[in-house]
Amino acid sequence: MYVYLPIAEVSVNIFIIFGMGGAVGILSGMFGVGGGFLMTPLLIFYGIPPIVAVATEANQIVASSISGAVAHWRKAAVDIKMGSILLIGGVVGSFLGIKLFVYLKDMGQIDLIITIAYVILLATIGVLTFFEGVRTIIKSRNGAKGNKRKKKERYWIHQLPLRARFKKSGLYISIIPPIFIGIIVGILATIMGIGGGFIMVPAMIYLLRLPTNVVIGTSLFQIIFVTSLVTILHAYENQTVDIMLALILMMGGVFGAQIGAHLGHKLKGEQLRLFLGIIILIVCFKMLGELVIKPSDIYTITEVM
Amino acid sequence: MMTKKIILLILVLLYLQTNHVSSNEVENHLVAEIDDPTIQIGSNFFGGELLVFGAISGTDLSYSDIIIRVIGKKEIASVRAKNRRYGIWINDRETLVSNIPNFYSVYSNRNINRIADSDLLIENEIGIKNIKLLTYKKDENIEDIFDIVRDKNRENKLYAENFTGVRIIKDKLFRAAIELPMGIKEGQYEVAIFFFRDKELIDSDISNVFVSKTLAGKYIYTQANERPLMYGIIAVFIAWFAGLLIAGITGITRTT
Repeated sequence: MYVYLPIAEVSVNIFIIFGMGGAVGILSGMFGVGGGFLMTPLLIFYGIPPIVAVATEANQIVASSISGAVAHWRKAAVDIKMGSILLIGGVVGSFLGIKLFVYLKDMGQIDLIITIAYVILLATIGVLTFFEGVRTIIKSRNGAKGNKRKKKERYWIHQLPLRARFKKSGLYISIIPPIFIGIIVGILATIMGIGGGFIMVPAMIYLLRLPTNVVIGTSLFQIIFVTSLVTILHAYENQTVDIMLALILMMGGVFGAQIGAHLGHKLKGEQLRLFLGIIILIVCFKMLGELVIKPSDIYTITEVM
Repeated sequence: MMTKKIILLILVLLYLQTNHVSSNEVENHLVAEIDDPTIQIGSNFFGGELLVFGAISGTDLSYSDIIIRVIGKKEIASVRAKNRRYGIWINDRETLVSNIPNFYSVYSNRNINRIADSDLLIENEIGIKNIKLLTYKKDENIEDIFDIVRDKNRENKLYAENFTGVRIIKDKLFRAAIELPMGIKEGQYEVAIFFFRDKELIDSDISNVFVSKTLAGKYIYTQANERPLMYGIIAVFIAWFAGLLIAGITGITRTT
């Protein structure tokens, strides 16, 4: 069954889009990742114009991160104050991001930048996830129990000015690093159509030293508002948010996440991580191919008016 | 629909008959009718067709030819070629091309090059290669760029030529079902019908059809372009609602 997407201006098979939403939803359910970094490339491979894929995916992430955040909220696992500081950075980053996006679009280079950004990002996450998986497998075989990291070690980052107390996380640190992290995430969200949880979560754990139990909830809290803003900015500046496409993806995502959560309990964590790493690397190579292999179509024609 | 067509055909025939009676030396001319001047595209639009039919009248109608040309709105586009730099394919500088019809289709009863000489075809923009494209600044290989624009639109099925698409029945009546592809845009389309004989243009007729997008598709498109801020806010609102709904469902399934 085909539907005509009014903003993307292409006809798509509703089951394929639903299936993609479902597949990425399964991965999100299994690994607790947002999945925007896989969804946007898949949409591009299917023929959705990159600028529509990015903006629409931001819209879908709003829905998926709300459902995730509610679950963490119920467990009281959200540091609202830290989330708000990250959000301030996110807002600044989103506005910077949209300016950059429009500038690159006018230069005719936005598709290229989106692709390059994805290749770099996917290669990094893919390699890290893959090796993390391998390391844990080796460790569990050797029966070694690592984690010798000193949790209370103080970094120069924490000594920066403008310090504030974060009761929920039990921290007294400068607000400059979280604002900076927020800005980076905001820019990436706008240009790539991602939530940025995979950057924020490690940054909060390793740089800010937040307790792990509040990290995901806090990150989701920030993502909801940043992706909401990113959706509005894209709709306003580029008119590229396709509600129809977003709705199909959201529906697919609901089913997928339910299945994924069940599967995730049954499979071993390290094997899952290895598997996710492989998927990410495959998508990365496909994306890289788009950059280096001679395109079948040398010319791009874009309507101006 | 069918009865409407039959009635129209009878009217056309009657018209021809009366013309024949009134004067034998009547000028050769053309009467045409478009089946449905408003075509609607739904959100599950697969493409459709535009029925054009009519009749030609005159003294000697053998060896008559009919060409039907449908043109959509003229647009401006930026064309960029990709070049390999630092190992990757990067878009080069842009060339602006204007006057590009967003849809172009030519139907005829035989090869248009046999129907008329090239001057006449060029003058009337008949044939994909005769579509008059313009540019703002002169470029040495502008003709190549124009050809690329034409070829790309042909690939996307937005430009078409069909030299057997017009059927002439008994030297008098003609009929064509012009294919409208999936990617066709909303707006006014000009339908021109040319009546040729012995490589000469005898008569022509121009009318307009309107293609409109119906259902959710049109509404969404209009809102996104005319009220972008509101549209963005609504998109976010829908996502919030969906997210909370999912959370609700998940919460229920988890507690039960």
